[in-house]
Amino acid sequence: MVGSLFVLLGVALIVFFISHLLNPNPALLWAGPRARPETVKAVAAAYHLNDPLLNQLYYYFQSLLTGNFGVDPQNGRPILSEILFYAPNTLELVLASMVIIIALGIALGYLSGMRFGTKVDAAIRVFYLTTWSTPYYLGALVSVLLFASYVPIFPSSGNGTVGFTYNSITGIFVLDALLQANWAALESGIYHLILPATTLALLSFGIVPRIMRSSILDTRWSTHVKAARARGLEEGNVRRKHILRNALIDTTTVIATTFGWLFSGTIIVEQIFAWPGIGQFSYMAIVSDNYPVLVACIFVFTVGVIVANFIADIIYPLLDPRITLGEGG
Amino acid sequence: MSTEATRLRRLLMSNALSVFGLVTTAVFVILAVLEVISFGKITPFNPYTPNFGQANLGPSLAHFFGTDFEGRDIFSQVIAALPTDMGISIAVVVTSALMGIVLGTLAGYFRGLFDEVIMRLTDMFLAFPQIIMSLAIAATLGPSLLNVTISLIVVWWPPYVRLVRGAVLAVAAEDYVSVSKALNSSFLYIVRKDALPNVLPSVLVYATTDIGSALLTLSTLGYLNVGIPAAMPELGRMVSGVTYQLYLYPTQVLIPAVVVMLMVAGFSFLGEGLRESLDVKLRPHILMRGRGIGKAEGGQGKVPSPMTSPAGTRLLLGSGRGGFRRGAVVEEAGDQATGTEVDGGGDLRAPVEGRLAD
Repeated sequence: MVGSLFVLLGVALIVFFISHLLNPNPALLWAGPRARPETVKAVAAAYHLNDPLLNQLYYYFQSLLTGNFGVDPQNGRPILSEILFYAPNTLELVLASMVIIIALGIALGYLSGMRFGTKVDAAIRVFYLTTWSTPYYLGALVSVLLFASYVPIFPSSGNGTVGFTYNSITGIFVLDALLQANWAALESGIYHLILPATTLALLSFGIVPRIMRSSILDTRWSTHVKAARARGLEEGNVRRKHILRNALIDTTTVIATTFGWLFSGTIIVEQIFAWPGIGQFSYMAIVSDNYPVLVACIFVFTVGVIVANFIADIIYPLLDPRITLGEGG
Repeated sequence: MSTEATRLRRLLMSNALSVFGLVTTAVFVILAVLEVISFGKITPFNPYTPNFGQANLGPSLAHFFGTDFEGRDIFSQVIAALPTDMGISIAVVVTSALMGIVLGTLAGYFRGLFDEVIMRLTDMFLAFPQIIMSLAIAATLGPSLLNVTISLIVVWWPPYVRLVRGAVLAVAAEDYVSVSKALNSSFLYIVRKDALPNVLPSVLVYATTDIGSALLTLSTLGYLNVGIPAAMPELGRMVSGVTYQLYLYPTQVLIPAVVVMLMVAGFSFLGEGLRESLDVKLRPHILMRGRGIGKAEGGQGKVPSPMTSPAGTRLLLGSGRGGFRRGAVVEEAGDQATGTEVDGGGDLRAPVEGRLAD
């Protein structure tokens, strides 16, 4: 926990210095390329840009701690409220993908490892190595082409909110619809979610079955498994408690890693599926030199990665009694 | 050729995946090199000259991949883009691996404050969203090949530091290193003779797969039109340039993307094959399969003991003294060689090592 906070602090520092290093004149960026010099000066004064670097750092951390990400220079809205709109949409996509990744990844990895050297093993490996080697844009374009154009069974864009009025409780559309028992909205939400979530999941999940498989291979010929069989334990028991459970430890780590990759994947997938999430938001910020928004986005993504690792740290002790909470991270 | 190299070749060739990886990688590397040394003369057409009479053609014998909206030959464009994509990815991975070897060795060997600082820094950079970070850096530095390379290296080096540091830590705990220290060997001598021969195989395996990952990220930058100069042919950008034609002419859009996929698949299949071939624990099971001695199940069937030599992987890249530990008993198939497991190195995207050990 302390380690995570430390990483967060460091990330905030690095973001601060990198954005300083990269922008010799942030006031000019803020005011726009054709702004008059007075305007630029006024902006610089208003945002303490003429102050010493340490003072700026103080204002930066003060704002971060109070959750004040500033104002979006492009539309004047508070960045925090924009983030709070986009982030839940991305979370919806990422969590749905995560469910697919965990289920499919563990199942395929287990099967592949237990059938080591057979055709099943080879087929599964070719499958996950190929999906992993596929660029996000190729996978997303192909799934749009196949399932939204040639065989139009899924919508190709949006997250299904169009045409529904609902109170935002969590900001996650599907969850909101479920909480308010709005079945039509729920159906629309899930219907729109399936294609992008499956695409994102399949393109990111390769590492999970791969590690699952190699952990299974590490375990299944080890002495403790032999000992379990020698004690006369039934095969299902051996596989469940001695092989599967052991292999899940490393797999938990990579599932947490995959979480970070899903965030990166959302940039492309949200773009192609017109999903109003934070990936698209941050890409727009990058191409329009919108640094205040970009800093906020990087921060949100990093917090996501750190939270994922933290959850993994909580799960370890459940899988492996040798590990106690607090040593993991 | 040393016996170990022969053995490795046999292990690699016994696996269809790695053969595919090797062949694909070789073909793309050779094409890229030919394109560079012939100054672009190997392409059948000029990839840049528009020919509007031939616009939007499908694949044919004259134009293998068809032509784009300006009538330019897509096959020629793909070939012209290979050096950019291949060159930057390899440069990024090689630089990151070198940084990882230097920093990781220093951190793992000297421990203390330096180790602490380096590892905290690594943790922070690992927590960054990779693509967004390099997008941001590349966008701000402005389009140039050097800037793209830099923006990728900034987010690419941390896994290598972790990988190398972990391996160096493991080696440093070995008795033969203590003995060497007691005999007053210098730091550089120990690194050269003990640490590197043990570390390099895992770095090599991880880096092979990693070139594919770098290629994916690079072409994503290209697809998002960030960082790569306008005149430079790049596969990701070829895709985004014609994405609006997706429904009309899908082959135009998909072919360059499929080429990226093939290149990445080549590297990752090769890396995967290498990793498995270098994994001493799996060797008996792989070799048994090849010879039809028993099934891969359980541990029956006799395997010639030299095949499971724990010194194996070390001999591959120079013979470190660590490779000749006395008393390393090679048991029969089904058991790992005693205590000298060589970690096959990373997974697809980031090494998992160190998490539980830390």
